[in-house]
Amino acid sequence: MTTNPPTSDVDLFADEVLLDPYPVYAELRERGSVVHLRKNDVHVLTRYDAIRGAIADWESFSSTSVGFNPMVNEALAGTSLASDPPAHTRLRAALTENLSPRALRGLKGQIEAKADSLVAELVEKGSFEAVDALARAFPLEVVADLIGFTGAARDNMLRWGQAAMQVLGPMNRRTTESFPIAGELYSWCSEVRAADLAEGSVGRGIFDAEARGAIPPDTAGHIIHQYLGAGVDTTMAAIGNIVALFGSHPDQLARVRADPSLVPAAFNEVLRFWAPVHAWGRRATKDIDIDGATVPAGAQVAILFGAGNRDPWHYENPDAFLVERNPSDHLSFGYGPHGCAGQGLARLEAHAVIEALARRVGRLVLGPEVRVPSNITRSIEKLPVLEVIPA
Amino acid sequence: MKIILDRPRCEGHGLCEEAAPHLMHLDDEGELVLDVEQFGEADAGPANAAVRVCPVAALRVA
Repeated sequence: MTTNPPTSDVDLFADEVLLDPYPVYAELRERGSVVHLRKNDVHVLTRYDAIRGAIADWESFSSTSVGFNPMVNEALAGTSLASDPPAHTRLRAALTENLSPRALRGLKGQIEAKADSLVAELVEKGSFEAVDALARAFPLEVVADLIGFTGAARDNMLRWGQAAMQVLGPMNRRTTESFPIAGELYSWCSEVRAADLAEGSVGRGIFDAEARGAIPPDTAGHIIHQYLGAGVDTTMAAIGNIVALFGSHPDQLARVRADPSLVPAAFNEVLRFWAPVHAWGRRATKDIDIDGATVPAGAQVAILFGAGNRDPWHYENPDAFLVERNPSDHLSFGYGPHGCAGQGLARLEAHAVIEALARRVGRLVLGPEVRVPSNITRSIEKLPVLEVIPA
Repeated sequence: MKIILDRPRCEGHGLCEEAAPHLMHLDDEGELVLDVEQFGEADAGPANAAVRVCPVAALRVA
């Protein structure tokens, strides 16, 4: 027996929803664990348990449709992001070989030193625009050094990374305008050779792995594509969110300052409170019952990480930002076989930034933040820090 | 009860070690070592917490 899920006329990718999706998330979550959005012809998953269950269950929820337009799903076919086991298992291993916490252990000190000197410089200046000066500058430097980018590629990372996420949206104006830019990234990655990357970099290591047969032939470029496509825009969003949330919650910054062992918990809470990824796709491979409603076989599904992260059935007082909560099971990195492959690097970067802020900043006085609607990544575009009260 | 590790899936994120430091740890190479596999009622809480926080679902309890 099939029972149709509740429906809604919300447009998941309308400007006002992208700017502040949380009221819409709450409304949809109230309606049901799964809701059919007629305007998008998408079944959204809204509650914590439904989302975690779906991303663990790759047999029912295929990753062959992570994007919301057929063109991008076709372009991603054959990457670990967009494949299912058993093919996925091998691709994922190739991707994480040089990206897992194990592989990145040696970089911790370097990343911490970079974050500290950048934050020290900004505190010294006293006022700055935090998105360009920190949220973008820091991950761009880390990822560029990691992959070993030099020259033109380095200058293009920001726009390439943004476009790679934007094109996962439905075929709206944002997507069509971003396709040519995402295409530049794709062609650069298909032509890049070991010699183009700095010696001793992880990017060079990926080519070495290809040369010695540890990963399949012709996969090095794809892996670098995924580092850039998935890792740049999301990390920038998370670091911007760190500055904004600690600026607007000085009491929570004070708690981390008093007890720096709270840094990992604080980052979990930042990710829970504002998910960097708005919606992520799956395809139902069969009729699936979720809390009494049927997701029909073949349906395009959208996972709303941010809605699950504020589910009051899972988190007490979910709309409060509390660094001591330590929600280590938040959904922002996904979970299971497709759980964010770069989360180890993201943690290294974010922990380093939070530690540096907690060490050097007493309080931040923020001006109004500016947001620009974006299909998949939800981030702050401009965040003026008007004054730093030093530690 | 027993903790079961799907080793090819483990990427060494280490969140399980934080949840259950007396049951498992990452060695110097960043590989997960299960110090206790068979566990009793007293360790059920931390063991289940370790399973729950593994970001890539590499652990289970049977």
